[in-house]
Amino acid sequence: MSFTLKIKDKVEEREINGELTIKDLLDDLDLSSETMVAKKNGEIVIEEESIEDGDAIEFIQIIYGG
Amino acid sequence: MGSCTKCGNPNVIIKRKASGQALCKDCFIESIEKKVKQTIKKEKFLEKGDKVLVALSGGKDSVVTLEILNSYVKRHIIELCAVTIDEGIAGYREEGVEIAKAHAERLGIPHKVVSFKESFGIDLDEIMKREGHRGSCTYCGVFRRWIINRAAREFGATKIATGHNLDDETQAILMNYLEGNMENLATIGPKTESNSEMFTVKIKPLREIPEKEIGLYALAKGLDIHLAGCPYAQESFRMEISNILKDLSKDHPTIMYSTLRGFDKIRPALRQELAHDYEYDRCERCGEPSSNRLCRACTFLEELGK
Ligand code: SF4
Ligand SMILES: [Zn+2]
Ligand SMILES: [Zn+2]
Repeated sequence: MSFTLKIKDKVEEREINGELTIKDLLDDLDLSSETMVAKKNGEIVIEEESIEDGDAIEFIQIIYGG
Repeated sequence: MGSCTKCGNPNVIIKRKASGQALCKDCFIESIEKKVKQTIKKEKFLEKGDKVLVALSGGKDSVVTLEILNSYVKRHIIELCAVTIDEGIAGYREEGVEIAKAHAERLGIPHKVVSFKESFGIDLDEIMKREGHRGSCTYCGVFRRWIINRAAREFGATKIATGHNLDDETQAILMNYLEGNMENLATIGPKTESNSEMFTVKIKPLREIPEKEIGLYALAKGLDIHLAGCPYAQESFRMEISNILKDLSKDHPTIMYSTLRGFDKIRPALRQELAHDYEYDRCERCGEPSSNRLCRACTFLEELGK
């Protein structure tokens, strides 16, 4: 079971073992939900959204320091 | 997982911790536009016939400001014009300028791009190579303001709209309070209120919208925005305050709203006690309004030998 994760221009394939939500993934990557918006298969989703096999997830940083 | 509190659509794009609302894309877009229009009405930002200059960087805040103000153009209430400032930050600014141009063109809004180089004979990249400079953001702030004021006069604008959001406002309030800068604190507000005819009134239509929701609105509407960090952005007191506020907001989601609301209540008293109307005269060098012989921009330029 796997999904793709896109951040900026980087796309990578990641494995899922069991339940995984957007929030879990943000936490794993040490990214703040305060500065990121998540899309799943092209649609904006909330943090509680779960990630399933074959999903295309994208994180868009909308807040930058400075 | 819950559906839209307003219409029942199961595809929710935001859960607002502050109000407990969950909203779908359409209801979220509508709620932002409604809120901004309420602010505009409450603060009497716009009068029929106003020509509003938007300081358009191409970032989310200014693009959303332009987009929402454009609905007033469609209703024939105001006219819009826009200025984009090219500070001369290689590898960063170019994309923002292109995005700004495209939005102005798409909406048919008169637009100009003004560079530090053409205005002052030096750009930010060059300034940053000088020894003993005052820090990138200090120049940016002062030089941008100079360009925006001048552009407002050239366009014949009656108002200047900036993209300041709820996070910016609360950061400024907290920073000035914690540093004891009460004179500066007293100048924060929805509009600038200078007695001098030489200044164009500045308005902040997004002041009650959290920064994150502005980004979300831009993405939800499919607006092209410049998403990048300035290479000169450095650790600053403002950033520390911003981090504290964002952290606090996680468990206290209404904290920024209450900070702003409370501040707006004491603002009249603060102004009465602390705000003085400076005597403005003209800067000897450039003719812009200044309370000293030289305006801040010209003071910096003299230091830089320009
Ligand atoms: S972060 Fe960059 S663009 Fe923003 S004020 Fe500072 S130097 Fe200018
Ligand atoms: Zn809805
Ligand atoms: Zn001057």
